[in-house]
Amino acid sequence: MKYTLILLSLFSLFLSACSKEVKIDIPGYEQQVVIDGSIETDAPPLVLLSKSNDIYSPTNLDAYLENFISGAIVTVSNGLTTVQLDEICTDNLPAGTEEIAAGIFGIPAAELANFHLCAYTSFNTDIWGQVGKTYNLTVTFDGKTYTSSTTILQSTPPVNMFYKLSGSFTDKGYSWVTLNDPPNQYDAYKLQYKRSGKPQFEDVWNPFFDDQFFDGKTFDFSFDDKTTYDDPNVPDNVKGYFNLGDTVILKLSKLDRSAYEFFEKKYNQLFNAGNPFSTPTNVPTNIKGGALGVWVGYSPAYDTLVCIP
Amino acid sequence: MHRIEEIMKNLLSLLLVLITFFSFSQGKSTLSGYITDVKSGEAIIGAKISIPSLKQGTVTNTYGFYSLTVEKGNYVIEFSAVGQKTETRNIDLTNDVTLGLEMGAALSELQEVTVNAKKGENVNSTKIGQIELDVEKIKTLPAFMGEVDIVKTIQLLPGVSSVSEGGQGFYVRGGGPDQNLVLLDEGVVYNAAHLFGFFSVFNADAVKSVNLIKGGMPANFGGRISSVLEVNMNEGNNKRFRVKGGIGAISSRLTIEGPLKKDRGSFIVSGRRTYIDLIMKAAIPDSSPFAGSGYYFYDLNLKMNYKLGEKDKIFLSGYYGLDKFSFRSNEDDFKVDMPWGNGIAAFRWNHLFTNKLFMNVTTTFSDYQFSFLSDQDQFKFSLKSGVRDVGAKVDFSYFPNSRHKIKWGADYIYHTFTPSSISAESDSVVFLDPSNAAKLFSHESALYVMDEFDLNENIRINAGLRYSMYQHVGPFTRYIKGDGISTQDTSINYDKGNVIKFYNGLEPRISFRWLLKDNSSIKGGYSYNYQYVHLTSLSAVSLPTDIWYPTTDKAKPQQGWQASLGYYRNFFNDKYEASVEVYYKGMKNLIEYAEGVLPGDDVNDNTDNYLVFGNGWAYGIEFFLRRNFGNFTGWIGYTWAKTERKFPDLNNGKVYPAKYDRRHDLTVVGSYKLNERWTFGAAFIYATGNTLTLPSSWYVQDQALLFNYGARNSTRMAPYHRLDLSATLYGKKFKSKTDELTGETVQVKKKYQSNWSFSVYNVYNRANPFFLYVDNDGDFLQGDFKISVKQVSLFPIIPSVTWNFEF
Repeated sequence: MKYTLILLSLFSLFLSACSKEVKIDIPGYEQQVVIDGSIETDAPPLVLLSKSNDIYSPTNLDAYLENFISGAIVTVSNGLTTVQLDEICTDNLPAGTEEIAAGIFGIPAAELANFHLCAYTSFNTDIWGQVGKTYNLTVTFDGKTYTSSTTILQSTPPVNMFYKLSGSFTDKGYSWVTLNDPPNQYDAYKLQYKRSGKPQFEDVWNPFFDDQFFDGKTFDFSFDDKTTYDDPNVPDNVKGYFNLGDTVILKLSKLDRSAYEFFEKKYNQLFNAGNPFSTPTNVPTNIKGGALGVWVGYSPAYDTLVCIP
Repeated sequence: MHRIEEIMKNLLSLLLVLITFFSFSQGKSTLSGYITDVKSGEAIIGAKISIPSLKQGTVTNTYGFYSLTVEKGNYVIEFSAVGQKTETRNIDLTNDVTLGLEMGAALSELQEVTVNAKKGENVNSTKIGQIELDVEKIKTLPAFMGEVDIVKTIQLLPGVSSVSEGGQGFYVRGGGPDQNLVLLDEGVVYNAAHLFGFFSVFNADAVKSVNLIKGGMPANFGGRISSVLEVNMNEGNNKRFRVKGGIGAISSRLTIEGPLKKDRGSFIVSGRRTYIDLIMKAAIPDSSPFAGSGYYFYDLNLKMNYKLGEKDKIFLSGYYGLDKFSFRSNEDDFKVDMPWGNGIAAFRWNHLFTNKLFMNVTTTFSDYQFSFLSDQDQFKFSLKSGVRDVGAKVDFSYFPNSRHKIKWGADYIYHTFTPSSISAESDSVVFLDPSNAAKLFSHESALYVMDEFDLNENIRINAGLRYSMYQHVGPFTRYIKGDGISTQDTSINYDKGNVIKFYNGLEPRISFRWLLKDNSSIKGGYSYNYQYVHLTSLSAVSLPTDIWYPTTDKAKPQQGWQASLGYYRNFFNDKYEASVEVYYKGMKNLIEYAEGVLPGDDVNDNTDNYLVFGNGWAYGIEFFLRRNFGNFTGWIGYTWAKTERKFPDLNNGKVYPAKYDRRHDLTVVGSYKLNERWTFGAAFIYATGNTLTLPSSWYVQDQALLFNYGARNSTRMAPYHRLDLSATLYGKKFKSKTDELTGETVQVKKKYQSNWSFSVYNVYNRANPFFLYVDNDGDFLQGDFKISVKQVSLFPIIPSVTWNFEF
């Protein structure tokens, strides 16, 4: 429901409001641990730890890098097996993992060795994700313990994918997906895609959605190529389109309700920053013990589309 | 149910005892009748009828009726009213006398009157926390964009504050904006605002009187826990046709009034429309991608009255107003329409059973609807919400003798709420079907009895009791949420007419006045109120999207009580009125959205599943000094106040200040009549800044920057202050004419009158905070990232001019 956002735009169009920067006391800061953990089918758990910062604290690259925490004890259990995750740091990466690490931290692979940024994972396949299992996370850091739990649900593969040319274009269009939502149960989804040959899946603009409005329905929806917006080689008038003949791989993951609530509110906050019509909404966490962040299990389903109408 | 029957039985017996008791009035005579204005035939509200030799008197009610019963005898009786010359009559009251008086007859056209008719009222009446405003005075005060606005003037009174810059919502003594009962000719106004709250729905040309009750609410009012704003519309001139109007910067007005039948009935029609959309249309060419975007509002007031006989009079009042916002982005094939508005109708019948027993029967209809319709490509989305009331009430006023004024009555409202009806469709797939919109139905009713009586020469008491009842009835579906893993969502269905929940409560009200001297008194009051309808707001500012929600099995009625005590004193022969009042207010079952709720979360669910409940309290002291008469009039008001909330499920259960908790509020309002041509006005406001919740920290998840908010309402904006000025230039009111008989030159009043009204809003161009937000800019990984707090201000200095006329 983005209608408040539309309201805001209409409202600001109408009133030529003026804004200026002010210094004002915002009480209430308390440093907290931030946990960013995920596990998906046939993949190892991955946990990043960082800290929250005062609103007026510096926001340069150093501040970002200094945020990450190393030296924590992180364990994951599936009820039968409990495994302590290994701490793997950017200055000591196993060969072949550089691109993945670059994607996780957002730092070019070549520069990774200059930093000591750590993530927690495991090569023990006993603890890799399996559909139907519940995974319990425990993080111990600085004398405090944080716990969480997530379930990898049954995936819901898309029924179909197709390509539709847009307007008068003969070689540009959007990719379409037909989804058949299982009836009478709660379903939450994450939608990602990549063009063939690209290493990473990209999130679509608003990648998380649930079936509040379409429980049990079969329907079509489209998505655009987000990567074109940052690509200086793509002219403005054709940004967002997939080209005729492109190959697009879709990744549609399911996740559980408590994890979905984190992402729903996260995107709401990202979209609504500064909107007076929205209430100040903290992103809720599914982690117990006073940390921020999320522990999420994904069950992806894949489909491939060759862009020919 | 037994308990209710018992209470009702007791109430009725009490009433019978009272009536019988007061009917023993042998040896007494009654003077009664209606007081009207000689020029227009309109009823005069609050005209004073007094017998100086007995030190007794009364005032006319909303319909201009009075009744005064005293020992048989011959008396000199004084009749006075604001803007009228006091009239004195020698009346033989050895028998009952009915005297309908047309006031103002003796007045020469040349004489301007400012008679102190309300002299002593401030000190004398039992009214505590009540303020009446003179609409004609309001018109000489500065007006935002030239639109004379009653609600904005109300906001200048002590104990009342505005929701936000320019906003129509108002908070009375720490209560919420939904806790004010706003009545237009006894019809409930659910949204008293146009254009996101910047303009009032009350067209000043159509308004006769304004009365605000912020404490010590009498028992005939109920349903809200904070205040009553009673607005009465003009009745229309029953002597001759008149036209008045105005052309302003953003809107124009036109009012036509006249007799339906001379001296028996009259009508008034008043309309207003903005032309922002027409200006925008001119500014946006058809070729523009935004062609077709615009905004307008209009409203229409209509009132008719007719005297059926000496004992019966009927009134029909209507209001209809609509706001419409349209946005078009033709390139994206995107369009939005957002209409909202109120419709109110009231039919009233006055009947005089005897010269001591007056009855008024009212049937009302009130409707507020909001829609948001968007259409992009094949995707259509609509959101509608609203509330519709159909009600009836009957009030009896009984005047047994000059020491007692008894009122009793009953009222009933049938509510239909549509909190949100959402529909969405893409191509042929309907995601949400509007036909299954969750409507909620309820019955609200009340009985009351009250008596205003003099205990002795110095002490007057107004005591009342109100008993209210509420039923939430089917059809209704209660949704119960599962966790999505082990339990799925379920629901319970109630059929049409099934009672889902019943609430009731007794609401005692009492106020007293203790006269210390002729010019000073102490007054106190206590009231307990139930409120069965709630306004729920997801946004930090007041919007038409705020929805009205009824009491249900889950959402309990709000309850409030208030105790106030004041010292009243007049100075310099009643030229100045002063008062100091302290109050404490307690509130229970207040409603807020739970933390993190987003618009649309309640689709296919009950809104109250997303609400949380808590308590609040407010206390403060108000100082008020007013000069009502003479060339210079105005007031100074200062309020020190505090209001806090405690909700178990908000702010970790800790106490937090309300959004509009303001420690200091100062207003200085003045109007100065320099001469017959020029009148100047000024208003200055200083208020502690509103509170708000801002992020106190940031963190990073998956390379996205997220904010974590500090304690609720823990940040305070900069103080608000502003000065507005106005000047009104009247056309020459009189012209010279040679008297044909005497040959002398005399001055006669011109039939056609006009004036120019100039206003400057925010004279020293203060950038007052409207809201603050945390802005972030740049890229973290590039090192140019910056977080800053930005303050948004709405209105700079705004001059405006309006031309008004009447003939």
